[in-house]
Amino acid sequence: MNFSFTAEEEQLRAEVQAFLAEHFTDEVRAEYAAGRRGEGWGPLVRDFYDKVSQRRWFAWSWPVEYGGGGGTRTAQFVIEEEFYRATGIILGGGTGAPAILAFGTPEQKEQFVPGAIRREIIFCQGYSEPGCGTDLAGIRCRAERVGDKYIINGQKIFTTNAQSATHIFLMVRTDPNSTRSRGLSILLVPMDTPGLTVRPLWTVQNNPKAPFGTTYGEERTNEVFLDNVEVPASCLLGEEGGGWDVARRGLNLDRVGAFRYLMSVQRDEDIVNWLQAEGELQDMLRDDAQVRDKIAEMWTEAEVCRLMTMRSISIEQHGGKFTYEGSAEKVFAPEHSVRSTEAITQILGPHAQLMNGSVDAIEKGVFAHNLLGAYQSTINHGSVQVMRDQVARNGLGLPRPAK
Amino acid sequence: MDLLLDDQEIEIKEAAAEFLAGECSPTLVRKVEGDATFYSLDLWRKFAENGWLQLCLSEDVGGQGLPLSYLALLFELAGKNIAPIPLHATMVPALVIDQYGSAQQRERLKDVMAGQLILSHAVVDRLGRWTTERVGVEGKVEGDQLVLNGVKGFVDAFPVSQQCAVIYRDADNGELGVALVPTDAQGVSQDTLAPMAKDAEAIVHFDNVRVPASARIGQPGDQGAAAIRMMDLASVLYASQMAGAAGHTLAMAVEHAKERVAFGQPIGAFQAIQHMCANMLNAVDGTTMLAREALWRMDQKLPHRMNVAQAKSFANEQCMMVCRSAQQIHGGMGFMLEFDLNLWYRRVGSWSLRGGTSAEHRRTIASVLLDKVGQVRIGTVPNAI
Repeated sequence: MNFSFTAEEEQLRAEVQAFLAEHFTDEVRAEYAAGRRGEGWGPLVRDFYDKVSQRRWFAWSWPVEYGGGGGTRTAQFVIEEEFYRATGIILGGGTGAPAILAFGTPEQKEQFVPGAIRREIIFCQGYSEPGCGTDLAGIRCRAERVGDKYIINGQKIFTTNAQSATHIFLMVRTDPNSTRSRGLSILLVPMDTPGLTVRPLWTVQNNPKAPFGTTYGEERTNEVFLDNVEVPASCLLGEEGGGWDVARRGLNLDRVGAFRYLMSVQRDEDIVNWLQAEGELQDMLRDDAQVRDKIAEMWTEAEVCRLMTMRSISIEQHGGKFTYEGSAEKVFAPEHSVRSTEAITQILGPHAQLMNGSVDAIEKGVFAHNLLGAYQSTINHGSVQVMRDQVARNGLGLPRPAK
Repeated sequence: MDLLLDDQEIEIKEAAAEFLAGECSPTLVRKVEGDATFYSLDLWRKFAENGWLQLCLSEDVGGQGLPLSYLALLFELAGKNIAPIPLHATMVPALVIDQYGSAQQRERLKDVMAGQLILSHAVVDRLGRWTTERVGVEGKVEGDQLVLNGVKGFVDAFPVSQQCAVIYRDADNGELGVALVPTDAQGVSQDTLAPMAKDAEAIVHFDNVRVPASARIGQPGDQGAAAIRMMDLASVLYASQMAGAAGHTLAMAVEHAKERVAFGQPIGAFQAIQHMCANMLNAVDGTTMLAREALWRMDQKLPHRMNVAQAKSFANEQCMMVCRSAQQIHGGMGFMLEFDLNLWYRRVGSWSLRGGTSAEHRRTIASVLLDKVGQVRIGTVPNAI
C-alpha cells in the first residue's frame, strides 16, 4: 500500500509540466483545436508531436521495440495526468493500438503500433451503428470474404475523430448466418479507401464553441458510410469471428488512464479555485454553509474517482487483469461528474446557464457547457448501466438474467 | 504508488481474517449483547494473545512498529466480523499515548497489548458535537495535580475500561489537553446509554476529579496536537470498521440474491438488484480506499486531516446506503430480530454517528478548500492540514 509517487516520478512530472509550458503554446493549442475540424493537424502540432515522440511520452510504459518508453505504468500515469490537464490529449497508443498489441500479428504490430504511438496513425472507433450502441452484439455492418479481400457494406455512427483519423477500427459481421456476439470480426481499414464516406454530426455542448476542458468538449462526431469498400484480408485483426474478444479487450484497455478520473473531477477543482477568488458573488457563496457542505461532498467523491483510477493503474502495473475495477470506475466517475456539474450550477444560479462568449459568463461558461457535456460520459464507451451489469456479474458473481 | 496490498500486508490480513472468522460468530455477538460486560473479554484475551494489539505500536514498548495502514486492514476485519471487543476504544488512545505519552505512560502500553488494560477515550460533551469548540471538561492545574470538572458524552466502552483518555480545556490558558484518568477515580461517575449498537457507551461526569499532573498526555505545547490526533484516529478507524461491516452486508445480500427465486429466476439476475449491488460495491471500495489513504498519510507524516474527514463523511452516508440496500434485498426477513443482518446494520448505524457526522467533517474539508487561497488539484491541496 503506497499512495504517493517516487522522487523520480515527481521529477518526471515536473519535467513534463515544464515541457508543456514551453512547447504547448497558444499557437499549438489553436492549431490542435482546428485540427479537430477535419483539416488535419498543421505543422505546429506535428512538430509538437515529434518532440513528445522523441521523449517517448505518448506510451511511456509500452515496449521499446514499438516506440514505447519501456517505463512503468505508474510513471506513464504521471505523464498522462499532466498531458490531460494541460492539453486535453489522452496519451497511450490511442484507440486501437492496445488491442493490436494484444491481438495483432507481428506485421500488424510493426505496421500500426509505432505509427499510432507517434500519432501518425490515428484510429477512430467503428463500433456503434444506428441500430446498436452499447449492445455491440447487434452489429449489422457486413464484411464478405471474397478471395483475399473483404467487401464491406454498412453504416457506423458516433464515430468520433473520423474526420481526422487515418484508420477506422471497424467491427463487422463476417459470418452472415451468425447472431449476437458470434461471427463478428475487427478490420483495420484506411479511411481513404474508396467507398468510405464521412458525414459530420455536431454535438450540443459545442454550439457555441465549448471552452477548453469541457467534458466531452469535442465539437463533432460522425457517421461513416461504407459502400462496397474493398480491403485486403490482411486487415483482419485477430481471428475471423473473434472480434468480440478483441473489441472487449480493446475497450477495457482504452477505458483506463488518468483521463478517466480527470475528465470527471475538473469542475470540482474549477469551482473551488473560482470560489477562492475575490468577488461579490464568490464572497456570498463562499460563506454559505450549504454551499460549503456540497463542495466538500463533491470533493470527497472526486477523491474517490482518483483512487479508483489509481487502483486500476496499480493492477496494470502488476500486469494483472481487471475483475470489475475498470467497469467500476466507469460507473462512479462519470456519475460523479454529472452530480457535481448539476450541484455546481445550482450553487452558481442563473450565471451557470451563460455560455461561452456571453456577458457575465463565469469561467467562459465552462459550467454551462459541462451541463451539456458531463452526462455524455455516462453514455460514451459503454453506458453506466452496462458497466453496472459487468460489476455485478464479474465482481460479485451475480447470475445473468434468464432469456 | 501502488494501491494493492504487498505480500506482508496480505499475509497479516489473511492471518487476522482467519483468526476472527474462527473466533467470532454472530452467536457470540448476540450473546454479549445481553451480557453486563457488553464485550467478550474471552475474545479480547485471545485477540491480545495473538498479538493483534501490538501491530502498530512502537517496537521500543514491545509492539511490532508496523505502519498505521496495517490498522486499516485490522479494523476492516474487526468491522466485517463485528468483533465484540473494545478494540476501537482502546487502540485510539493507545496510539496517542505511544506518540505523545511519557515513558511511564508508554510503559503501560505493555499491559494494553497483553489485554490487561482496556482504555477508552472521551472527546465530545453531552451535546455530542464533534468539534474542539465544545469538549465539556475543564482542567485546572493546582500544584502537581490536575483537577477536572465537567461532563463527557458518548464515551465508548467506558464501563469496561480502566483508564480513559479525556480531552479537556485548560482553565488557565484555554488550550486543549488530554489526561489519562482512572475510571474509578474519586469524583468520576457514569450514566450508561443504550445505543443501537448495543455496546457499552456512557455519559461520564467529572466532579473535582484529581489526577497527578503527570497524567497529562504530551508536553505543554503539543497536548492540543495529541487531542487532535485522538479525534482523527477515532474518526478514520471508524471509517475502516464501517467499510468492513458494510462489505459484509453486501456479501450477505449477494448470497441471498443468488439463492432467492422470484418470478422464475434468482432475484440477483434482475438488473434492479444487480445495479444496487454494483453501487454498494463502489461505496465499500470508496470508503476502504479513502480510509487507507488517510491512515497511510498519517503514518507518512503528510497532511491528513482532510483525508480523515473525507473518509468518515463518505463512510457515514455510503456505508449506511450499503447496509440499507442489503436490507432492501433481503426483504422482510432482513428486519426480523432473529436474522443476523441487523447485527451489522445497527453497528454501522451507531458508528456513522460517532466520531463525527458528515456535515461536521465536511466543515473541515470546506475550510481547507475555501478559506485560504491556493490553486487546488484533486489529490494536491496546497493548504491541506
